[in-house]
Amino acid sequence: MRPYDPIAHALSINRRTFLTNSAYGLGAAALACLQPSLLHASPSSGAAFSKGVLKSPNYPVKAKRVIFLCMAGGPSHLETFDWKPLLKKMDGQPFPESFTKGQQLAQLQNTVLKARGSFVDYKKYGKSGIEVSDLFPHIGGMADDLCVVRSMQTEQINHDTAHAFFNTGSIIKGRPCMGSWLLYGLGSEAENLPGYIVLTSTGKTGLQPISARQWSSGVLPSKYQGILFQSKGEAVHYIGNPQGVCQSLQRQVVEEVQRLNGYLAEDTVDPEIATRIAQYELAFKMQSSVPELLDFKNEGTKTMEKYGIKEFGDGSFASNCLMARRLAERGVRMIQLYHRAWDHHGGIEDGMRSAAKDVDQATAALISDLKERGMLEDTLILWGGEFGRTPMGQGSGRDHHILGYSVFMAGGGVKAGTTYGATDELGYRSVDKIVNVHDLHATMLALMGIEHTRLSVKYQGLDVRLTGIAGNVVKDLMA
Amino acid sequence: MCVSKVWSGILACAAVGGLMAAEDPVQFNRDIRPIMSDTCFHCHGFDAKSRKGKLRLDIREEALKAGKSGALAIVPGKPDESEVIKRLFSKDEDEVMPSKESHKTLTEAQRQLFRRWIAEGAVYEPHWSYSPLKAPVVPPMPAGGRNPIDAFIGAKLAEKGMSPSPEASKEKLLRRLSLDLTGLPPTTDELASFLADTSPEAYEKQVTRLLESLHFGERMAVWWLDVARFADTVGFHGDQNQRIFPYRDYVINAFNQNKPFDLFTTEQLAGDLLPNTTAEQKVASGYNRLNMMTREGGAQAKEYLAKYGAERVRSVSSAWLGSTFGCAECHDHKFDPIKSADFYSLESFFADVKQWGIYATYGYTPVPELAGYNNDSPFPPEIKVTSPYLVKRDAELRAELQTYLEAAADKLWENSKQKEAYESWLKNAQAFLTAHPDGWLVPAGQYCFKAGMAVPPKKPAVKGKMEATAKVTDVKDEIVAFKEGQEIKLQKTPAKGQEMLVELKPRAMHLTALKLSLDEKVAAGTKVNFGLALSVRDAAGKERKLALTMSDASIKTPKHVSGAEVIGIANTWSCTTTGKSEAAVWLLDAPLELNDQDTLIVSLDVGQALPFKLAVTDLATGEPLSLLDTAELMKLTQHPTESVLKAQWMLSSPALRAEDKFKTLVARIRECRRGETWSMVTEVMAPLTIRVLPRGNWQDESGPIVLPATPSFLPRYQKSTEQHRLTRLDLAHWICSAENPITSRTVMNRLWQIYFGTGLSAALDDLGSQGEWPSHPELLDWLAVQFRDHGWNVKNMIRLIVTSRTYRQNSSLRSEYKDRDPNNRLLASQNPRRLEAEFVRDNALAIAGLLNAKDIGGPSVKPYQPDGYYEPIQFPNRRYVASKDNEQWRRGLYMHWQRTFLHPMLVNFDAPTRDECTALRIVSNTPQQALTLLNDPTFVEAARVWAEHLNQKPGTLAEHLTAAYLQALNREPKVKEVTSLTTFYNEQLKYYQANPTEAEKLLQVGYAPSPPTLTPELAAFTEVCRVILNTHEVITRY
Repeated sequence: MRPYDPIAHALSINRRTFLTNSAYGLGAAALACLQPSLLHASPSSGAAFSKGVLKSPNYPVKAKRVIFLCMAGGPSHLETFDWKPLLKKMDGQPFPESFTKGQQLAQLQNTVLKARGSFVDYKKYGKSGIEVSDLFPHIGGMADDLCVVRSMQTEQINHDTAHAFFNTGSIIKGRPCMGSWLLYGLGSEAENLPGYIVLTSTGKTGLQPISARQWSSGVLPSKYQGILFQSKGEAVHYIGNPQGVCQSLQRQVVEEVQRLNGYLAEDTVDPEIATRIAQYELAFKMQSSVPELLDFKNEGTKTMEKYGIKEFGDGSFASNCLMARRLAERGVRMIQLYHRAWDHHGGIEDGMRSAAKDVDQATAALISDLKERGMLEDTLILWGGEFGRTPMGQGSGRDHHILGYSVFMAGGGVKAGTTYGATDELGYRSVDKIVNVHDLHATMLALMGIEHTRLSVKYQGLDVRLTGIAGNVVKDLMA
Repeated sequence: MCVSKVWSGILACAAVGGLMAAEDPVQFNRDIRPIMSDTCFHCHGFDAKSRKGKLRLDIREEALKAGKSGALAIVPGKPDESEVIKRLFSKDEDEVMPSKESHKTLTEAQRQLFRRWIAEGAVYEPHWSYSPLKAPVVPPMPAGGRNPIDAFIGAKLAEKGMSPSPEASKEKLLRRLSLDLTGLPPTTDELASFLADTSPEAYEKQVTRLLESLHFGERMAVWWLDVARFADTVGFHGDQNQRIFPYRDYVINAFNQNKPFDLFTTEQLAGDLLPNTTAEQKVASGYNRLNMMTREGGAQAKEYLAKYGAERVRSVSSAWLGSTFGCAECHDHKFDPIKSADFYSLESFFADVKQWGIYATYGYTPVPELAGYNNDSPFPPEIKVTSPYLVKRDAELRAELQTYLEAAADKLWENSKQKEAYESWLKNAQAFLTAHPDGWLVPAGQYCFKAGMAVPPKKPAVKGKMEATAKVTDVKDEIVAFKEGQEIKLQKTPAKGQEMLVELKPRAMHLTALKLSLDEKVAAGTKVNFGLALSVRDAAGKERKLALTMSDASIKTPKHVSGAEVIGIANTWSCTTTGKSEAAVWLLDAPLELNDQDTLIVSLDVGQALPFKLAVTDLATGEPLSLLDTAELMKLTQHPTESVLKAQWMLSSPALRAEDKFKTLVARIRECRRGETWSMVTEVMAPLTIRVLPRGNWQDESGPIVLPATPSFLPRYQKSTEQHRLTRLDLAHWICSAENPITSRTVMNRLWQIYFGTGLSAALDDLGSQGEWPSHPELLDWLAVQFRDHGWNVKNMIRLIVTSRTYRQNSSLRSEYKDRDPNNRLLASQNPRRLEAEFVRDNALAIAGLLNAKDIGGPSVKPYQPDGYYEPIQFPNRRYVASKDNEQWRRGLYMHWQRTFLHPMLVNFDAPTRDECTALRIVSNTPQQALTLLNDPTFVEAARVWAEHLNQKPGTLAEHLTAAYLQALNREPKVKEVTSLTTFYNEQLKYYQANPTEAEKLLQVGYAPSPPTLTPELAAFTEVCRVILNTHEVITRY
């Protein structure tokens, strides 16, 4: 192979033409209506993800990355973190109309509403004594690291729109999701990997579809989008070489493309060429680093047992949790795991037992694993669904519910071993220290060092923000 | 004052602002409004609710009044007496404007600008895009200018002491023009003929040729379909398939026919309301149905109808009015004069569009019209239309089948025994048809009922896995006999699950199919349901099941799978009669020789006591319904041609029918449905009540009811009265009326972007105050006037643009103007432009000679896609099967558009999901694009097919490289490129010579036929082709 350094070549072209950050070029022209409001450092198209638009943090940085364990479908708060003895006592009795009058219902519209008590008991765990349902003994075992929010509220009662709201703070299409905001604002520390990665897994029941819209960068440039790692087939689209092309041949191909692009840049003034050269280099690095990422050989059986993984890379939530840790180690800014298993309109007892079995041990393992590696302190974990479920029964299950539900956070500067807020005595409505989705977003951004009102992008004449025009940082959730 | 410093700060519109010279008088729209809009209007603008200090700055009269404090905000000519200036320059944290909470700051230069504006008299201007549209004076034509566009561009360049670039080479020009007008590169022949044409109008001739090309419509459709948010799926939740591809055909045709844009507008918004509305116009009205829809259990109809309605307002206002109405769903627009009432008045125009909030009938939300709907059902209202593409494909496939059958017959012909078989078959067939002129024999037989039998299984019996049918000896009921030709008359409706056994004695024949028919005496509207299974019993009493295949009926109750109507029927025939004779036909998977002793046993699950006939035939067919077509059958006896006979003979051969190729061809023919298809359309219903929803809350019914009205801030305001409700037709007419200034500005601005990479106002989707002041406002107005006043003629406007000198310039950016015009908005050169996603694909396939460009229109196709990509989609689960025949290599605009999981190649190259109107595609440059071009089988396959084409001509490597460069880039390779690629080739060759099986693997990527010999040389050259297809130059139009 001939000695050739495409990056050096690209840089030499840059020196001959313009500085890397010159606005002189099409990329910048197309973005003229999309300038960040806080344009301290322009999101250089040349350096793939390295820099964000925030020159310096607005707040002390507590968390450097987020792992969002999304329990898709909407787990019941009443069988996870919100123990309601009175509801249990009223099991099967008419649900008081004073609670439900005038409120939005999903599938329970026009039906007789009856209370449904939790089918499991709760225990107090750890020094903090946080009550966790018996479905989640492992998570309970991590109680002193958890910050449980029992007073969540959201605005959307159907899965698709509720996910959109939970990810982007809006149901208007084209709003960037949290992961994209984080990349846009903070950039990425992952050199050879996308800065925002999504994994999915499925349970036995309670499955609901998930749209790729949920990790879209929306109106932000597509380099900020989440990249879906597939659990089957190639992990990343087009990451594998074509059949009959080995890695060293592919390297030659990439180098040859770089060289020809370099020749083009010698005769043509077009800054996009230099960017293209940088992107090919990054693409090739990704091609080389993803197999290493997927190679779990050195993890060992102990890790496997700790997470409860049957087979590495089997697409299970447990395997994805381990992958999340590996991605976190490699500097990925946002890692989002969807476990599609929680939509229990019927058969909630078996359904929740099964879904809890899927996630309980692995979630706890991820928290403790990060802790042992000293990474929990700057990794913010969020566990929760797009909404909760009704304290009223729906046959053998529960309907969607938005007025009160629970999530928990861990690590990343949150107040460990605490609970925050409360629903009423029947678990219907958040009544104490309500945290809506915008507040949660504002708080998470704050933990990442970002003042939520200041991370915005101008789009169609508006300063678009993750939190819209709402959101308050909940200081009590922060350590 | 250092101008560039002023504008390089926080301003969104730095590029344009930078054009202002210090000595210019300050212009409100250009210089002041953007600052106010960004920093002042939030608290001192249109929105009364968020207004502070009772000060309003967007209207001059208001701004000159005293605010709450009593101070005068603006005193024209006297900056020092103006409170605004005092506040802008204040050092007091509590006093300074913009306020601390706003997180906005002005630069010193911006403050000085403000001061100067007031000193010059604080003259306001109406917002440019809302101002009446008048033809501006065309500046004097500069030397070398070709049309008024060059006059406007030239004047501004001259003003800045800049000069245009020279014209690009002919090679570059033709590539640019072809890619811009058709989305395809020129062929080498097209280039050669252009180069040979030395006439002065050689270029114009190419423009004409390309505007007349049918690919022009395809290119423009990509532009419009983003705006119209065209997709193949509904977008919400289960993201089910919707049927609307004829709308895409409509758009392609509209551009190809150069349909005037005002008519194009009217047909889409109100095609259903036009007098004597045509099928085409109804299809066009499908535009109103392209909003996302849901079928999610638990969704509330009213909530989703509110979502659909709001989306329509956003899409229509963005598509035609270049305005962002979105904010006004919840409150009056903060920066533009768009009121909440405007939002809902616009929505009200569409309140009559028939649609359901939730496309299912769940227990909590019964919808009688959707009874029986499930996740596989379509999304009505729809109409049945003919697809010219499917008609053509149907004919092509039938011709292919015919050729295939004849070839098969010819092969057999060589064998004399087969010749005898043929003659015997012909004699029998003709005798049969003579005896039974309609092609069917109704045999004699007997029937009885068997109690307690299982109904036939739901799966068709194609695979021969039926339960054994009952023997007649099991029968407990009375046996009834019937004669040949006689119908079976039941006295009573059998009990549910009670099986009817019919024994037929057709005697010796070559059995190919069974027919069950009802005559016209059956009253119209009768619900018919027959389940059927077939077996044969020989003289020894041995019984065996007969597998049935490809069944169909003259009329049937439609069933759907993933939105598509199931082709034919399975073993059950259900329909509602219309008072005509109807029939169902079941073909035998393998035709069968019956002898005199054989008995056919038909097991029937009969839903009702109706007289019916069972008939058999020995005539063969490709697909079942041909057997009901007497004229078709008569070809056998009346003037038969050899080809007809040969084909018929083959069709009756069990061996041929078993062949995959035959089955595939017939299946594809059936998928054409004889050219019939469905398309979602607008149908009218009683209008929904539309209210202003406070804060956009659909549950809040406290807001006033609003009737249709045009936006109140635009000229020629039209509103409904109690007596006269305005319609979508009125809206369409208003949108394209001479008085409405914004539609033609919006469309011309977007059109300009295609040819220069950026709109004259870069914010294509927002011509409001938060958008960008155009780089050449007079030019935009001039174009808009031309468009409006000369028949909304799209092709003429494009011709004007692409024949301008400005368009024909070199595209190498001008380093010397970097400071004066950092974003090349003054167009001292053309702009390079990366191709849109669809054209990245088309271009590669076209270069490779793999593109199927001959077909225009038709259903969406499925190129290769990574496995498992649709796994997170449910209701129903989706399986992506890549198109196998020439549909695999159709153009990108025909790719299946799955809103929740758009094809990764499209995503990676910035195609929008089309959830809503998208006027502007952001152009990114990412590693995902590199990975796609390097590894997506589409591009690897293109490289190997291209390599094969190039290698077919004998020649040296250098000659092949030259041919490749001419094809891909319309130029010869540079010496250094040849040198480099030669070294590369040799390195690759070395590897493949050492690893020949790897070469074979590479040369078999994709469905395209592989070359006969898979050599290391071809593999190495494939790698060369991969490299070229990956270069920046190939995916960029320079």
